[in-house]
Amino acid sequence: MTATAVQDSIPAHVPPELVGSFNFYTSEQMVPTPMGDPQAATSVLHSGPPVFYAPNNTRNGEGTWVVVRAEDQRKVLQDGVTFSSNRRLFASALGEDWPLIPLEIDPPDHAKWRSLLNPLLSPKRVVAMEPIVRERAVEIIEEIRRSGNSCNAMDDFCLPYAVSVFLQFLGIGTENLRTFVDWAMDQLHGAPDKRTAAARRFIAWLDELQAERRKRPSDDFMSFVTQAEVDGRRMTEHEVRAMSVLLLVAGLDTVAAAVGFDLYYLARHPEQQTLLRTEPDRLVLAAEELLRAYPTVTPTRKATVDVELAGAPIKAGDLVACPAMTANRDPAEFADPDSIILDREDNRHVAFAYGVHRCLGSHLARREIVIGLEEWLARVGPFRIKEGTTPITHGGFVFGVKDLILAWD
Amino acid sequence: MRIRVDGAKCQGNARCWALAPDMFELNDEGYMEEAVIDVPDGDQEKASRAVRACPERALTLIDD
Ligand code: HEM
Ligand code: SF4
Repeated sequence: MTATAVQDSIPAHVPPELVGSFNFYTSEQMVPTPMGDPQAATSVLHSGPPVFYAPNNTRNGEGTWVVVRAEDQRKVLQDGVTFSSNRRLFASALGEDWPLIPLEIDPPDHAKWRSLLNPLLSPKRVVAMEPIVRERAVEIIEEIRRSGNSCNAMDDFCLPYAVSVFLQFLGIGTENLRTFVDWAMDQLHGAPDKRTAAARRFIAWLDELQAERRKRPSDDFMSFVTQAEVDGRRMTEHEVRAMSVLLLVAGLDTVAAAVGFDLYYLARHPEQQTLLRTEPDRLVLAAEELLRAYPTVTPTRKATVDVELAGAPIKAGDLVACPAMTANRDPAEFADPDSIILDREDNRHVAFAYGVHRCLGSHLARREIVIGLEEWLARVGPFRIKEGTTPITHGGFVFGVKDLILAWD
Repeated sequence: MRIRVDGAKCQGNARCWALAPDMFELNDEGYMEEAVIDVPDGDQEKASRAVRACPERALTLIDD
């Protein structure tokens, strides 16, 4: 965008002194960057106003307010009435208009959907899923080891791992793993036309699975939701679709990116790598610290009324972005926020957000990260970024790292 | 020492449970319900760490 176009897109109620020059899509370190550190690059925002306006701060180039501090983000994310998540983003990309369930449903309706889903991914349920998660991790890592002593961490490990755990949760086999990984890549990182095509394929595939499970239920997620009742009636086909498609977009790339950033960090810090390999009990706490340092998601809301937040005159209809990256490096919340301290205690990071939409999959995601790293460290041995290769990091909708080629002896 | 759980604020992050599974009993959805929990002698340190772990600020220490 040219400077004048940006200027034109700033609404009149935004005071000029609150217009920031940083956005999460096109600023330095947010664009694809060799050996970058995009989360750390957002730390500078703590020296500016606590809430500022970023023109061009969504995938579609809309402007948003950016809430920098953890405490202010908590106010936004814990108040789903003033700050609505009914944005219908996924549907609008398809030229349609329906909410993802439960992400784009506001309180009080949100609770009934959430209550239905909570038991499926509760901490106790996740404990029962662990053996399968570990089996998947081991299978994929062993295949990598058989094929040599280097690999593309995202394509060969992180994504297939996240996808196969997910397919297991949905209740289907992993024969189509590769196709699925390709779809996921297109859906999340492809050019807009590829994203739309991939989204339609996902939907068609989920519709088919739904029809199949309605006819012949088994004991998996899809069978559960096709049988489940809300408000004393069965869910409609459309509701089942809006729910299952959300799990797909929410639970694949996020897990893969988290494991990817962790491996990227460990590849550059051999002494920490050795510590976690020799004392795997440290992984639970270390994974929390890495989630704090390398979160990937920016929950975004739409104001329903005019409201002032930390000096910013937000108007009904404005978008309000709460990047986990800045909250997680808030000096008011974390001592020495830019240092990675693998045994940090009292770590109230917001990688999974706050409030009613707190990540439904957080308990599963936490275990996937810990188990994935544990098996990787134990089986692969000391690893590094392969000589002559350069990982590329990026900001945006979901932060990520690619071209992460790891090598070992 | 006791802990007050604000059931309305709890969003099921289960960070308290992760630190002290015996002290914090999650319901089937994985959330804490409104309660006042007695902290057994000797568990004070664990209890206050659990309170500090709650991202939603749903837990408060009552020092009696
Ligand atoms: C490290 C991995 C993950 C991260 C960082 C992450 C992050 C998040 C965040 C920040 C939100 C809140 C979004 C908002 O409030 O706008 C969220 C919501 C959600 N996540 Fe995750 N997530 C991860 C893994 C998963 C997994 C594995 C699943 C499913 C199995 C999942 C399912 C969901 C669902 C369904 C919601 C919407 C909850 C609601 O609206 O009530 N996520 N996630
Ligand atoms: S840590 Fe807080 S939000 Fe999480 S379960 Fe415990 S009380 Fe609830």
